[in-house]
Formats: sequence, structure tokens, C-alpha cells
Amino acid sequence: MREIIRIEHIAKVYEMGDEQVFALRDVSVTIGENEYVAIMGPSGSGKSTLMNMLGCLDTPSSGTYLFNGDNVNDMDDDDLASIRNKEIGFVFQTFNLLPRATALQNVELPLVYAGASAQERKRRAVESLTRVGLEQRMLHKPNELSGGQRQRVAIARALVTNPSIILADEPTGNLDSKTGQEIMALFGQLWQQGNTVILVTHEEDIARHAHRIIRLRDGLVESDG
Amino acid sequence: MVRPSEFAESFRIALESLRVNVMRSILTTAGVVVGVVLVVLMGWTIGGLDSIWEQTISVIGKDMLYVDKWNWSGGGSWRKMESRKDITYHQAIALCERLESPEVAMPIARRWGGSVAYGNNIIRASVVGTTSKYGQTPSGSIAEGRFFTPIEEQQAANVVVIGHGIAKAVFPKGDALGKMLKIAGMPYRIIGVVEKRGFLFMDFVDNEVFIPMSSFRGVYGFVDRSLTVAIKAGNDKIMDLVRDEAMGVMRSIRNVPPGKEADFSINEMKAFDAQVQNIRFYIWAIGMGLTILAFVVGSIGIMNIMFVSVTERTKEIGIRKAIGARRSSILAQFLIESALLCLTGAIIAFPIAQIFVTIARWLAIDVFQFEAATVISPIIQLDLLAIAVLVSIVVGLLAGLLPALKASKLNPVEALRFE
Repeated sequence: MREIIRIEHIAKVYEMGDEQVFALRDVSVTIGENEYVAIMGPSGSGKSTLMNMLGCLDTPSSGTYLFNGDNVNDMDDDDLASIRNKEIGFVFQTFNLLPRATALQNVELPLVYAGASAQERKRRAVESLTRVGLEQRMLHKPNELSGGQRQRVAIARALVTNPSIILADEPTGNLDSKTGQEIMALFGQLWQQGNTVILVTHEEDIARHAHRIIRLRDGLVESDG
Repeated sequence: MVRPSEFAESFRIALESLRVNVMRSILTTAGVVVGVVLVVLMGWTIGGLDSIWEQTISVIGKDMLYVDKWNWSGGGSWRKMESRKDITYHQAIALCERLESPEVAMPIARRWGGSVAYGNNIIRASVVGTTSKYGQTPSGSIAEGRFFTPIEEQQAANVVVIGHGIAKAVFPKGDALGKMLKIAGMPYRIIGVVEKRGFLFMDFVDNEVFIPMSSFRGVYGFVDRSLTVAIKAGNDKIMDLVRDEAMGVMRSIRNVPPGKEADFSINEMKAFDAQVQNIRFYIWAIGMGLTILAFVVGSIGIMNIMFVSVTERTKEIGIRKAIGARRSSILAQFLIESALLCLTGAIIAFPIAQIFVTIARWLAIDVFQFEAATVISPIIQLDLLAIAVLVSIVVGLLAGLLPALKASKLNPVEALRFE
């Protein structure tokens, strides 16, 4: 199994006035290709910080992070942006779609920053929307779509650059349970098609879809397996 | 580097944002609108001044030289000029006779601040005594009638050729020819009207009346009067030759010893260039001052609204960064938006500036009867529009720089958390 993510002894400290707050104390995790992992923990456990770290939105205060063998600690802002663009597909709890853009434009956006031509963008965005079953809704804006449909658009956007990992932060948190189940089924499908999926959640029901659960507590790994 | 696809996206976002906030955008650009209007008006005014001046020179003639006691361009001290001896009638005549290189030369005697009368109508005019040759110079070219003849000159005939300004003031119907005009109490028959010469700040030349030198002598005499010799070189390529000859001949006539400074000046239309340049500079300086002020005020407004825009769209910036927008992408996005905002201001400004130009031209020509203004362009020149567009874009980029930098440096995690 090819290794995609290797983090070793990473910590993240925030300065709050004179006080140092440890969001992560000492975390080491390795995630391989086509794994389906859930990161769990109560609020304040550091799971959001870990997700930001894994998604290259944030850098650790100490420790090393290797992504596809490259050391993330050495990267500058543009390198991190490039990794986020090409290697990571984010799915957020609040969808985070651009409200004034259509579903198609939202899905095309990562390709805009990748420098793809208009034709190429359209072709791949349509393909991606078809994968999540939204080919009939491409020209609708987010406010014309249901919650489940919005999350599908977000997943299509995450998939469009063919990333190494899909990183989903409470992807069902804003959905009713039936729609949530549909979205989880979609992640299952993506995993079956060979994608690497990392879920961050505090719901046992959701985490159970994954094949490996990493539990965090107080900035440390409580269990992994 | 910012990729073409990102540029296209930035334009799309910027236009979208302008469209969504139409009213806010228009109000924000008020300062830029004022700035662009001022830039355009300043350019138009300077351009108009240049056209009038060019027209004036072409009417007066580039190949004219005037030998005079005074230096017209104001060089040298007034006291020194004052102490120069007058150019007498005989000196003037001698110079005219001895000159060989120019096409034609003639003496001019002038009575400043005089007046002429037609019935009860008294008009200020300067009375000029000259010879029939004056009719051969561009400034003596006749609009209607004729110039006086050598025979009328010999007879000291009571005939007069009047300037455009006098003709217009006294005979608005254009029926001047044949009428009797009183000069120093004596009746003179009007035989000709000189063309409008469109002097910019020398419009007095249109309020001249020309009578034969012999008649002038009879009325005013030559005592205490310094004459001028007008020389038409005939070709502006031989100006240096003619000037040198005139200098040599006049020095000998006035017995100026070799090595001593001449006690007269040879003037050209070029002498007034400096004055035109001065006016140009004042217009430019005042215009620039106001323009810069307007753009400073305008760019503060733009900067302010761009900061608001960055704050409003913090979440959007976070999303864009999360999916791969680099700093330069975000920077470009907001710079383009700011530049487009200013460009909108410029576009709003153009019709406003055109309205001002139309009104200014109408006022100058129809209300103040400043006929020279007819040569000024009635529409804003394209190069002015291009400059205004360029300036507004630069102002937009400068005003947008700080907000765009702020946006580009936002931390993606915090930006995403922003609601």
C-alpha cells in the first residue's frame, strides 16, 4: 500500500496572551492509498486542527509532515496552495460553495486555479457532476439546490482535480439523516472507485462507514484502528 | 505568475461584484469621475490653446520680423528699452529701402489708445499709419474691399482700412464699406476690412484701423513717436539671412559702433511663444493640482470600499484559498476589481466632460464672442480618452493595492471560519 500521508510527532500551539494552548500535543499517523479513515473526537480534541494540518491549510508548530513523500514543513504559501489545489479535495460541513456561481462554475473553480483551459474545465466539471448524479442541476445556483444537492456539488468540486485524498469535515453535519446516508453512500462509492477518503466527525454512526477510526483526545491519539 | 484562466475568472468576479453593487460602485467612483473630468478638461483646454496659437501664427505669418525699439518678448530691462532712442520715420524708410533679401518691408506708425467715431458711436482703436505694402502681409489681408494704393498714399487721402473687431462692433450688419469714420475729428472713407486674425491674448490687433502714412503724419505727426518696420521675409527658411541683414543695416543707420549692443530689437511671432508656454503651464499646473486632489480623494474612497469588499468576502477568499488560489491569484482578483471600479468612473466621466466641453465652447463662442475658440475641437480627442483610461486604471491599481494585499495574506483557516 502506497503511503500518502505520514505525520510524525506533530504539535500545534496557539499563543493566547501569555498562555500557550496546545491544540495538538504529539500526533503521529500514517495513511495509505485507498484507505477510508475517520478522525473522531469530542470538541476541543484537536480533530479540526488535525484536519487543517492534513489539508495543508495550516502548518504544524513542530514535528514533520510528509505528503506523498514531500516535506510540507519546507513548503511556502504557493506550494501549499498548489498541494491543496491538486492533491486535496475538501468537503465542508457548510458546503462552502460560492453563492453567486452556478454548480458548474463552482466545480470548475479548482481548475481555474490549476490553469486549465475553459473547454477542459467544462468537460471535467461536467464529468465530475455526473459522478455525483447532478448532471441535471449544473446551471443552478446553490440557493436553488437542496442541502444534499449542495453537498454533492461540493463533492464534485473536491473530485474534479483527481486529488490524492478527499478530506471531509463533518460532511453530514448540516443534513437530515436520510440525506446524510445518501452522502455517506456516495463516499463509500468513491472509496470503492479507488479514492482515499478521510472523514472528520464526532458522530459514531458516520464514523462507522470508515474502515479505520483514529480517536483523538486532548491533542493526543487515544486509539487508532 | 497569474494564469490566464485566473485573469478571466477575476474579470468575471469583478464585473459580477460591480453589477451586484451598482449604486455603491457609482457613488464610490465620484472622486475618480471628478478627476477624470478635470484631466480631460485640462487636456482639452491646452489643446485648444495650442490650436488657437497655431492658427494665430499662421494668420500673422511665420516669416514676419518687426524691427522695433522694444523687445516684445520682454527680454532686457524696461529702463534700458525706455532709454533707447526712438526709431524715426527717416530711419524706418531708410531701412525699408536698403533691405534686399526680404520680399517686402514697410514702416508702421502707431497711435495707441486712440478712438474712432461713427456717428455718436465712439470706439477705442489704435490708429496705424503704414504704406500700401502692408496689404501684402498676412496681417493686412483683406476680407472685403481693398487696401489703399500708392497713389492714395501720395495724396494723403482720407481713406481707412478697418480691423475685424471695429467692423464687427460698429457695423454688425457688415455694411462698413463706403461709410465715413471719424479719426481725430476728420472723416475717413472706409475702403476695406481686414480679416479676423484671431490673436489669443493680443486681440487688440483686431481693433486697429489703417490709414496711409502721409495721412497719419498729418494727423498725429512723428514727434516723440518710435516707428516699427515690418519685414515679410517671404519664406521662413531665409529668416536668419533677413534678420542678419536687417540687424546690419539698422546698426549702420543708427550708427551703432561695432561691438556695442544694438539699440533696437528684431521681434518675431516666436517671441510670444514664451507667453503661450506660460499660459499652458498655468493651465497645466492648476489642472494637475485639482486632478491630483480629486484622485487622492477618489482613491481613498476606492480603497475604503475595497477594504469593505475584502471583509465582506473573507469567507469567499477562504474558500478560494482552500481549493488552491495562491496569494497572487487573490491579489490579482482584487486589483482587477479595483481597476475596473476606477475604469467605471472614467466611463461615467466621459459624457460629463463632453457636456462641459460643449458648454465651454458655446460660452466662449456665442456668449463671450471669443471667435478664436471656433478652432478648438468640439469633441474630446481620442488620445485624451486614452490617457484618462490609463490614469484611472493606474489609480485603481494603487488604491486597491493595500486591500488586495490584505486579502491575499488572509489565513485560510481563519477566513473559512468567518461568517
